[in-house]
Order: sequence, then C-alpha cells, then structure tokens
Amino acid sequence: MKASIMITCLGEMFFPEVGVAMVKLLRRLGVTVDFPPGQTCCGMPLFNSGYHHDAALVAARTVKLFAQAEHVVVPSGSCAWMVKTEYPGLLKDDPALRTQAEALARKTHELSQFLVEVLGVTTVASPFQGRVTYHDSCHLLRGLGESRHPRTLLQAVPGCELVELPGSDECCGFGGSFSVRLPEVSTAVLDKKLANVESTDAKCLVACDAGCLMQMGGGLTRRGSRVRALHLAQVLEPGEIA
Amino acid sequence: MTTRAEFLSGLRREMAKTRGLFEARTAERPPDADLVFETVKRQMAERWPQALERFQAEFERVAGVFHRVARLEDVPDVVRAIAREKQASRVLSWHPDALGLDLRQSLGGEGLSVTLAPDDDPDGEARRVHREAAAEAEIGVTGTDWALAETGTLILVSGRGRPRSTSLLPTTHVAVFDRHQLLESLEQVGSMLEALHADPARRMSGAVINFITGPSRTADIELTLTRGVHGPKDVHAIFVEGR
Amino acid sequence: MSETQLRTPFPQRAHAALGDAHLQEALTIATTKFIGLRKESFAGYPAGEALRDRARAIKEATLQRLDQHLERLADNIERLGGHVHWAATGDEARDIILRLCRDRGVRMAVKSKSMATEEIDLNEALEAAGVKPVETDLGEYIIQLAHEKPSHIIAPAIHKTKGQVADLFSKELGGRFEADPEVLTAVARKELRQKFLEADMGITGANFAVAETGTIVLVTNEGNGRMVTSLPRIHVAVMGMEKVIPTMTDLMIFLSILARSATGQKLSSYTTLVRGPRQPGEVEGPEELHLILMDNGRMRQVAGTLREALYCLRCGACLNVCPVYRQIGGHAYGYTYPGPIGILLTAMLEGTGAVKDLAHASSLCGACKDVCPVRIDIPRMLVELREQVDREKIAPWGERMLFGLARRAMASSALFRLGARLGRLAQRPFVRNGRLQGLPFFFGQWTRTRDLPPVAARTFSERWKDLERP
Repeated sequence: MKASIMITCLGEMFFPEVGVAMVKLLRRLGVTVDFPPGQTCCGMPLFNSGYHHDAALVAARTVKLFAQAEHVVVPSGSCAWMVKTEYPGLLKDDPALRTQAEALARKTHELSQFLVEVLGVTTVASPFQGRVTYHDSCHLLRGLGESRHPRTLLQAVPGCELVELPGSDECCGFGGSFSVRLPEVSTAVLDKKLANVESTDAKCLVACDAGCLMQMGGGLTRRGSRVRALHLAQVLEPGEIA
Repeated sequence: MTTRAEFLSGLRREMAKTRGLFEARTAERPPDADLVFETVKRQMAERWPQALERFQAEFERVAGVFHRVARLEDVPDVVRAIAREKQASRVLSWHPDALGLDLRQSLGGEGLSVTLAPDDDPDGEARRVHREAAAEAEIGVTGTDWALAETGTLILVSGRGRPRSTSLLPTTHVAVFDRHQLLESLEQVGSMLEALHADPARRMSGAVINFITGPSRTADIELTLTRGVHGPKDVHAIFVEGR
Repeated sequence: MSETQLRTPFPQRAHAALGDAHLQEALTIATTKFIGLRKESFAGYPAGEALRDRARAIKEATLQRLDQHLERLADNIERLGGHVHWAATGDEARDIILRLCRDRGVRMAVKSKSMATEEIDLNEALEAAGVKPVETDLGEYIIQLAHEKPSHIIAPAIHKTKGQVADLFSKELGGRFEADPEVLTAVARKELRQKFLEADMGITGANFAVAETGTIVLVTNEGNGRMVTSLPRIHVAVMGMEKVIPTMTDLMIFLSILARSATGQKLSSYTTLVRGPRQPGEVEGPEELHLILMDNGRMRQVAGTLREALYCLRCGACLNVCPVYRQIGGHAYGYTYPGPIGILLTAMLEGTGAVKDLAHASSLCGACKDVCPVRIDIPRMLVELREQVDREKIAPWGERMLFGLARRAMASSALFRLGARLGRLAQRPFVRNGRLQGLPFFFGQWTRTRDLPPVAARTFSERWKDLERP
C-alpha cells in the first residue's frame, strides 16, 4: 500500500511534527510513504474568501502534483474536504483537469478515515497515557460526515481515557480568516470551547485539523492551561510530541 | 401599482433564465380525493381504538385534559364539573345542530348561563350580540371535525353555527368528539383536506380550519412557558363512546 | 434599524454585543434551550430526515413553476371573494395597505407576528398615516413598547429579562407589575384582548399559501393569529411571493417539520387555514380579505445565486446553532433578518453592498445547514457572496493585497519556501516561551488573545530529507 502525504500549508510551516508522526505511524502499519515535493496549500483560504478564480489555479496545481499518487493522506479534515468536495467544481471548465480532480477526490483521505476505511485498522498500539477529550472539527464532522473513526482510534489506545467533550460539535471559532477578521467574536467562541475543555479535566485536547489546533492550542497556552492540544497522529505516535 | 400581468411577466422573465437547481417533484397527491377520503374512513373504522389511545397520550402531553363518557347525554355533566372547578358561569356553545346537543336545555338555569351560536344568516346586530357573549364567556364548547392522534390535535372547521371564537375567546375550551373523528397521521389529514376542498359546497360552510394543539402558549419572556396568552388557558376533550 | 446604528460598522456593533453581559447570558440560555428542544424532537422522529428532503424538493419544484402556482393561488382567492395585490417593492406593499386604511376608515390595526411587515417597516408608515398599529404577539408587543426591533426570528424579545419587561409594562401601561412571566402574560392578555375586539383591521404574514385551494396558513402559538383573522372587519396578509406551495398534501410535509425545527413542538398550538373572507352564515370573520404578494428583491434571485434562500421557512433554527449569532444576538446584524439566513436575505433585499462585512460574519462551520429543515446550503451561498463582494471590488484594498500575496505564494513552491524563511526571520523578536505573541499589524488581531505557534525551525519538507528512504 502506497500513500502520499499532503502536508497542508499549516502542517508544513507550523506543525511539521504532526507530519512526521503521521509518516512514522503509516510506516509502522506497513504503508510505503512518499511526499510529492513542491506542495504549498490546498487553496481553501482563497476559496472561502471568495477568490474562486485564484483558488481554481491552486487546485489545478495540486491536482497535477498528486497525479501519480495511489492514495493521498491528509492530517486535516478541512483540506481533505476542500480536495474531495470543492476541487471538481472549481475545475469544471477544464474537462481534463476536472477528471483528474475527481480522481484525486476519490483517492484523498483524512488520516482517521484512511486508517479505518482504507487500511482497515481500528486499533493502533501506542504508549500514550492520559485522559483526552476530542473536538469534532467542522469540516471533518459536517463536510466529510466523520465523527466515529477518531473516537474509535482513541478509545483503542489502552492508556488513553477518552472523555466526551460537551459541545464537541460546536465550532472552535477558527474559520480561517474569520479568526482575524472578527477576532473578538472568534475569541468569544473559543472561550466557550475552552471552558468546556477544561470541564473534562483532560490532559490533552485532540483534533484532526491544524486550524482548530492552532486556535484552541493558542487559547490554551495563552490562558496558562495545563491542557495540551494535540493532533490525533501525535496520540497514536507519541514520539513526536514536541 | 404593479398589475398582476406585469408581476407575472417579470417573474417569467427571471424563470426563463434558469432550469433550477435540481430535478424536483412536489408531493404526490391522491389521484381520487373522494376515494382516499372513503379509504381513510374505512381504515379508521378499524383502527380507532389505537388512535384514541395515542390521541389521549399526545393530548395530555400538550397539557390537554382528557375525559371519556359513555353517551352524548353525559357530556353536560362534564361541562358542569368543569364550570364548578373553574368557578365559571358563562358558557358559549356551538349551535345544537353543529354540536349534536343542546346545552342550553341541559345546563341552563343551574346558575349557568349558556349562549348558543346562531345558525341562521346573522345581521350586524346578531354579530354584535354574539361577539359580546363570546368576549364574556368563560367556557366554550365545540364539536370536533377531526382528532389527530399523532400530535393530540383537534381540528375544527368554522361555519354556520360553529363560530371561530368559541374555541378561542373563553379561557377554557371543551371539545366533544367520538370515534368517527379520529385520524392517525398528518398525512391522513392531508388526504381529508384534499377531499374537503375538492367539493367545498358539500362540506365546508366556513372560511377557517383551525388545528388546535393544546392551550395557547408562549415562551417569549425569558423562555418561560406560560399558557393562556390570548387563546384558552385550558383545553378539554370529551370522547363519547356510544356514538 | 436606526440610521445611527447602521452607520457604526459591523465589528463595532459586534463588539458592543459581546460586552453586554446580560445579552450574552440571555443568548446562551435561549439558544441552548432551542437547540436541545429541536434535537430531542428530531431524535424521536425517524421519519423527519426523509421529510426534510421532501420539503426541500417541494420548495425547488414550486420555484420551477412559481408563476403557475401564484396564478392559481390568486384565482382561488378571488373566487372566494378575497383580493390579491401584487407588490413589486416594499414601498408598494406599504402603499397598498395605507390606501386600504384610508379608504376603509381604519384607525387601529392589530398585527400578528410577521417578518414580512418588519421587512417593509410597516408600523412606522402606519403611525405616520395616523393608523395605530398594535403588535399582539407577546414578544413583538414587548419590543414595540420598547421601540426596538426583533432580535430573533421567532422569539423577538429574547434579549429582554423579565425584570426589563416588568419595568417596561409598568412604565408604558401604568401600574406596578411583578417580574413574573405569568403575571406579565396576563397583563398583556388583558391589554390586547380589548384591542382585538376594537380593531378595524388585522394584519398578518403568511407561513404558507396553498395554491390549489386559495388557503393562507398561519402557524402560531399564542392565539393572536386567530384573533387577528377573525375579529376585525378587514384582514390583510403580507406574503413573500416564495411562500406559495401547491397543495394540501405538500402543506402537511412542511407542518410535520416546521414547528419541530423552530421550537421542538410537533405542531404549534395553532395552525390556522384561512380561505377567503367570512362565508355566508358565519357570524364572525372579516368582510374583506386582502393578500399582498410581495417581490421586494425575491424575484431577482429566482435565477440568482441566492435562489436556495427562497426555500426558507423562517423557523430560526439556523440562528440558534450559529456560533456568531449565539455570541452577538440579532441586533448586531443591523437588518431585519439576523443570523446565517439573515445575511443571505439582507443581500437579497438590500444588495451585495449591504453585506460586505456580514458575508464574513461566519466561520463557515456548517451548523446552520445541518439544522435547516429544507437543507439550505447557507455556507456555500456565503462564500458566493464573498466572491461577489470581491468581484465588485468592495473588499478593502489591504485585504485584496494580502490575498494577492497569498495567492502568489500558493502558486509557487519557491515563493512559499521563501515565505517560510522570511517568517522565521521576522518572528524572532516575538517568540516567547516557544510561542508567538504580540505580533504587529493585522497579525496582532490574533495574538491579542491567542498565542501562535512559530514557523518551525525546520519545515516538514526540510525534515522529510531525514525521513526519506532510499
């Protein structure tokens, strides 16, 4: 089984340790991993702010970068959503590109979905210890309809105690540029989320989206919380907790 | 002022620009409304006991008070008891032809004043008189056209001898029904309404159909539920077995 | 919305709302309650999901034959002795009503809750013409006395405490009333009962109008909808043209999901089907019925980007789950309709320019689409509105510059890498304890309240070299 890593712009620049954890994890599970060079961004920030023409150019570029991939694994629900749901539409005016985009959409998976649905793995051995709580990122939950697999994987780690997060399906307030266009509202929404997080007494807050982790992690450290924000990959492959 | 023709031609111009978002159909209608009407009635002739049970459960869930009597002649007793409980003395009733019983005969004179809805063509004076009585009445007694089990809803059609305000202005509404009015689902109600409108001359003498699901309510102040905002505070349903 | 309020930019209005502690508490309690009620209702209703799909299909199918349905509706209403008016604009709708009032000697009109009449600022126009409009829905009555606009589509006075309502009643009605919802409701009942009986005209909206039978449908809980359509001698219903539906069978599908979506009830206390003015033999009911079919920006969307927004049932479910609405409430949006659907409706009624800020008042979380009974894809249309704003060059130049830079960096891996290296250099003065704080320019919008991770010492691409196998 071969898989290509789509690292995402946030992963590349801010959370490379998540990418490394993912690589090690996948290799441990018998997957041959490669990393097509020249990746930048999936284009979602452009798309969400209405710059669709520009987003289409980025989409075309990405589609070509991954043309040879067998499977594409993404540590981010929103980027996976972008590729799977929006790319074909963005490239609808070029039939060849559109076909490629549809092919890419079919072979692209968010990490937890790849592990469970493609690899058929629900139990990943990990020495991780501690109580965790899980946040449902909006695009993974509603865009890709995924709420079970991350929980299944977390619950299967013997040392991991998963506690349900009240309001786990409520937005963390990131929303991409929303976080800086309406920072006060974004922060108010974040505060609500973090109050829920702290009420669980968890040691770690886990999510499958770099944007959410940036927002929630940034809020947690700013308020001096002892709760750590981690990506799912870092719980399953804890050697990469920075 | 825009005319109908102008409005519609503007609309058609816009409509011509698009085929729409996706292929879509409206709900499938019963091809023969009268046939469905009869079918539903036949079904309910069998299934009314279950429907009644469900009706009672749902009616009580929306704070309705359910009563059961053996015969129509027992209804005035229930009304009397309600009047005593509410310390009420003014009763407003549908006309006997619409209700199936004459409450003025059975209740009048026991310290209860009963006003009957007029049944003839009212003039301005008759309207004024009835409105005053309706505004003063404490208990309003009506029949029921349909009793919907799925939601505990009483469905009342307005018309001659069956004014709208009887179930609206008094603080207590009492509705009388029997097994022939029971329906199970909103879907069945839809079928009945299709049939009703297919032949209005025969079946509807009034302009309004009211679906009544429990008392009047609001939660507009701090989301605290209160009853009897403008409509009745209490709704009673009397099921008559014998009919 | 008052002129002054609209002149303050949206972020400022949002800021004011965030600082209003009481509003924050009211919003949390109310929206949480509505969310729970709706969830519970649909959890116990497995048929609900398929019915939502059907409802959506009916709305789309109706739009595809909208002209025919409107014609049929009008013919049926006229056949029953009612009058149908066609209003291209809100101004026209108002004028029709004012003219009616003048011609029929109307001095007082009782109103049942109608967002369509809010849309056209009817009350102000009536008052200016010497006609007293009396709102009778308890929430609307409260805000009318307070000279405010509704802050939620179905619970207009959600932002007021019972204490505030008690003070308001005491002040406006004379007397001293306890801050008890039961007491206050009884006060309103008594006050408004008189008005119902004395009013010359009753004004309502319409949740639906059934074309096949000429029926106007009102979904209410208080009973004022019934009063207003039975007691005064004239009934006027103002309805957006998109509210027509073909048949009674279609109506049942909407009734089965509307109240559940709005308040978690199976059905509201009253669903009232009005078919023309009073019939011969009826001792009550209006002599005259007028239906005003209103365009006011809707027609243009039949072939526009906001077509799907025409499916809206005005249930308010999207408001209750929206993280933005839950934080800032309805007034901060600044227009008649707040919340997610409100942004789309505002664009529809007032044009794209009106939503250049509001189109971004969303984290695109999708919760609205999740709960919409007719599954309107609100996030998609918000993104399209953003595109329009960009195309019409309404977005501020600083933003367009930044996105221009971002676009170039995304199009070229060399630029992207350069960006990472520059970031690593530029961030040095701001790194504290392994996090970025106190960043300048617009990045400060983030770091004022949150830390940022620094650009990694080695990006993933750089670390891949170590991970790469021969």
